[in-house]
Amino acid sequence: MSKQRGCENCQAYRKEQLIRLGIEIDQYDYVIALAGNPNTGKSTVFNNLTGLRQHTGNWPGKTVTRAEGGYSYAGKQYKLVDLPGTYSLLSTSKEEEVARDFILFGQPDVTVIVADATRLERNLNLVLQILEITDKAVLCLNLMDEAERNHIKINDRALSKALGIPVVTAVARQKKGMDVLINTIENVATGKYVCKPHRIKSFSPKLDHAVALLVEKLSRKFKNIPNLNWVALRLLEGDQHIIEAVRTEELGQLSENLKSV
Amino acid sequence: MFNNQEIKSDDIISLTNTLRWELGIDFHDKIIESIYADASKIAKQSIQIEDAKNSTILDQKIDNIITSKWFGFPIMFLLLAIVFWITVAGANIPSSWLAAILLDTIHPFLKNIASQIGMPWWLDGVLIDGAYMAFAWVVSVMLPPMAIFFPLFTLLEDLGYLPRVAFNMDSLFRKAGAHGKQALTMSMGFGCNAAGVVATRVIDSPRERLIAIITNNFSLCNGRWPTQILIATIFIGGLVPSHWAGLVSAGAVVSIAVLGIVFSLLVSWGLSKSILRGQASTFSLELPPYRPPRILQTLYTSLIDRTILVLWRAIAFTIPAGIIIWLVANIYIGELSLAEYFIDWANPFAFYFGLNGVILLAYIIAIPANEIVIPTILMLTVINSGLTGIGEGAGVMFELDSVADTKRILTAGGWTLLTAINLMLFSLLHNPCSTTLYTIYKETKSIKWTAISALLPLTIGFIVCFFVTQLWLLFSS
Amino acid sequence: MVLLLRPITALLIGTIFLMLLAWLLWPRKGLISFWSKRSQNMKRKLQEDALKFIFDCEYKHKSCGLHSISGNMNLSTNKAAKIITQLQSIGLIVMKEDEIRLTDAGRSDALKIIRIHRLWEKYLADETAIGNVEWHHGADSKEHLMSLKEVDILAANMGNPVFDPHGDPIPTNKGELPTYQVQSSLSSLKEGDIARITHIEDEPSIIYAQLVALDLYPGMEVYIMDVTDEKIQFAANGKECILNVLFASNITVEKLSKIEPTQKKYQTLSSLNVGDKAQVIGISPKCRGQERIRLMDLGIVPGTEISAVLKSAFGDPTAYKIMGATIAIRKKQADNIYIKSRQNRNEQTARLRELSSVS
Repeated sequence: MSKQRGCENCQAYRKEQLIRLGIEIDQYDYVIALAGNPNTGKSTVFNNLTGLRQHTGNWPGKTVTRAEGGYSYAGKQYKLVDLPGTYSLLSTSKEEEVARDFILFGQPDVTVIVADATRLERNLNLVLQILEITDKAVLCLNLMDEAERNHIKINDRALSKALGIPVVTAVARQKKGMDVLINTIENVATGKYVCKPHRIKSFSPKLDHAVALLVEKLSRKFKNIPNLNWVALRLLEGDQHIIEAVRTEELGQLSENLKSV
Repeated sequence: MFNNQEIKSDDIISLTNTLRWELGIDFHDKIIESIYADASKIAKQSIQIEDAKNSTILDQKIDNIITSKWFGFPIMFLLLAIVFWITVAGANIPSSWLAAILLDTIHPFLKNIASQIGMPWWLDGVLIDGAYMAFAWVVSVMLPPMAIFFPLFTLLEDLGYLPRVAFNMDSLFRKAGAHGKQALTMSMGFGCNAAGVVATRVIDSPRERLIAIITNNFSLCNGRWPTQILIATIFIGGLVPSHWAGLVSAGAVVSIAVLGIVFSLLVSWGLSKSILRGQASTFSLELPPYRPPRILQTLYTSLIDRTILVLWRAIAFTIPAGIIIWLVANIYIGELSLAEYFIDWANPFAFYFGLNGVILLAYIIAIPANEIVIPTILMLTVINSGLTGIGEGAGVMFELDSVADTKRILTAGGWTLLTAINLMLFSLLHNPCSTTLYTIYKETKSIKWTAISALLPLTIGFIVCFFVTQLWLLFSS
Repeated sequence: MVLLLRPITALLIGTIFLMLLAWLLWPRKGLISFWSKRSQNMKRKLQEDALKFIFDCEYKHKSCGLHSISGNMNLSTNKAAKIITQLQSIGLIVMKEDEIRLTDAGRSDALKIIRIHRLWEKYLADETAIGNVEWHHGADSKEHLMSLKEVDILAANMGNPVFDPHGDPIPTNKGELPTYQVQSSLSSLKEGDIARITHIEDEPSIIYAQLVALDLYPGMEVYIMDVTDEKIQFAANGKECILNVLFASNITVEKLSKIEPTQKKYQTLSSLNVGDKAQVIGISPKCRGQERIRLMDLGIVPGTEISAVLKSAFGDPTAYKIMGATIAIRKKQADNIYIKSRQNRNEQTARLRELSSVS
């Protein structure tokens, strides 16, 4: 931490308070999920925050196992869960199942989505899918240096407004933007920043109708679930975990948990 | 609350099914399309690409050269040759240092201590001559080349060059039913098969990944190069006038390596047409932008992730093997040691394959690492042929600095040119070392694929050796 | 070195040994796979096949008699009668006058077999690389071997699919099926009609193989070009086909109320030259399972802009720029991606100039 880069004078700079805990984390106040497309530098962000050194490489899909680590910031302990890198959350592959189920059933306090600024449009596919599931998310736009080199300008404010979640620009390889990210995570976790996530308004008329029918039935059975549209969509996709959760009424439990938080 | 009871969860599920039948077959696509449509809308609002033409011009220029018909392959061969050359040339020095420290200094030192504290001879043999010796051997022979090869390879990977190699080579590998990235895992296998097997993780198609895992063993690994070079120098280089010897023996070794690549492709093709026919297969290869590599980071992670991981596994397997090697040479039943019993028993069978009992026994007990095959062969040959005055005693592996002395031992053991050729073939075509097998099991989580990876090359090895020997004998008689 | 056998004898023995090994292990034609095929219980298989057929008749509100069974299952009337008596004696069917009816037990058995069959077909189609002509046969041998529990796990892993790859509904584990709706077949369409293929009958296999050879899949859009008494000429996803009316009746379609086909002639991505841009229209239904998911994950969805940027040294694969990323795919895959090419600006201006010079 001897090299201090980036915005040293701005308010967000409270890096002294960051203590990297590596994997030694048994008690924590918040759970943070780290999601993103493969090869976006997700593991680098993870390593920066936890001080661990997972191997990273210029290949898609380097991280195979789910990694956990932790850090402490401003007196609070954060557990960081690095989910497998996926392009989407809608198919039946094992990685996607792990990521999808953790975000829905694991109920992380904040989901940090790491996106490649040079391929933002493709990355937004995953971002929008995650926003269908969870309310509390932060978008970390990584590889901003490469975007700059390729003359890609991103209006992060407009993006934040369109998505309804905070957007942090970063260059994780040079540890730029990590301080702001940590601060933003805190703001979302503690509720200082209230997300109004973008939700897909309409699919096809036929599908909209089907979703509406299911949501109506579900809402009478399971109250206080914020993302019933997603549950309905997953039911229509035949997701076994969701079907089980509906059948065993575990889904209701989920809303109970939400209330108590 | 009462209202809740009206709706049963089973009703919701059966409603879901009815709705799904009504929606038809392609609604999943429609969902993804709508999400992308929204994504594209948002992207248009917030992304500005200035002067799209200028944006990737450098990357494009580099790509055009690297993937061109005329420059692509020469550049690739040149870069790989440089990597191998640096590895081979650079590894010699630290290897001899390590050997000097671990084998020539610490080993006698330990023996000394053992005799001073009055350790029984068998315990001293098992621990120091067996376990420690095998450990020392593997570290000194295995560590330096891996510590040089893997960082270099990782640098090429970080830079973004390796995906381009896969891109260029895919055409060839597609014809063998494999994935272009297998070119990389194969090259990695020239360093170490276990690392090559781990590297197959980058292949994201199940069938092609299994093919790459099973065939990785056909890449002549670091542990087998010295065997090939030694035997080729003694028996093949010796056939021609001395000023040609170096070239001819090098040629022989390279032909074995090339034969390995040929087998790798042939077996890939065979697998994709037979047992792996039904496995799902997809292809997509992302060409990431070139990134300046971070040298220190690369050194650190490749050392931790690849070198130490593989070395650790190798040591874990070698130490028990060292003990067994010592024991088979020192446990006597009547007049003969276990090793001699096996050798005598296996000889008649082994001769049909142009090998001998010593070689077979060495490949069985030295399964943890190919590095210790030659020392084991030498030790066993000395015991079996009753030579005296050479080596360090029963059960203690050794190697000689002088090629001529090594030759003397081997000829005393009954080796001919035919034995040498078959050993070179068998060294290429036999089961992977136990470190690799364990890694294969870890990666595939399947005993079936691990067994196939072991038995397939072994069977091929025996078949090839058998026909080479019998045809040789037929034409030489 | 003293060998008992002379080299020539050893070589002979070695060769014979290799041949024996090959004969034993040869995939699909070797002795081992032959045995494993033979060992299936023939009697049970026939019974279950008959049950399936009777259920199908009932589902489609067709009458079902002895002759239709023997005809459809390729059995002599005697043998068919024997199977029917067997089924009757275990209480799976009842005879009402001349018609065969399923009992409740028979219906649930039939549904179970159909569920396994269709799920297995779906599995072969989406999760393996087995070709579509073999789906039916593979499922046929599997349907008699799997338990309901195994098949439930299989279904869960695949996201509980509700349609098999031919477009038939898969019964749920509770035995639910949608009510049968009479649908029009391709042979009933008129010239100029536009429709979507919803189902392709996979039996008899000779006709099915023919339809597969024409690259016809459920989900394709067909545009009828010409109809005569014997033949029907149409374009399926932009590719022209001519089919015998008998063959066409094995294809079920859903009529679309469009006046114009989405695209008269489909251009594929593989025809795009390096440096050119295009817009994706869709992925052929031929490309399915993981392969399809992968392509869509990469951003190959209708409306995406795509441009060919680089050919590899041997010419295949080709790298395309998709949503800012450079992704290489093989020609065989690119053949399944439909595009609408965008004219180059140069071409456009050239055309404008041409137009102005004419006027």
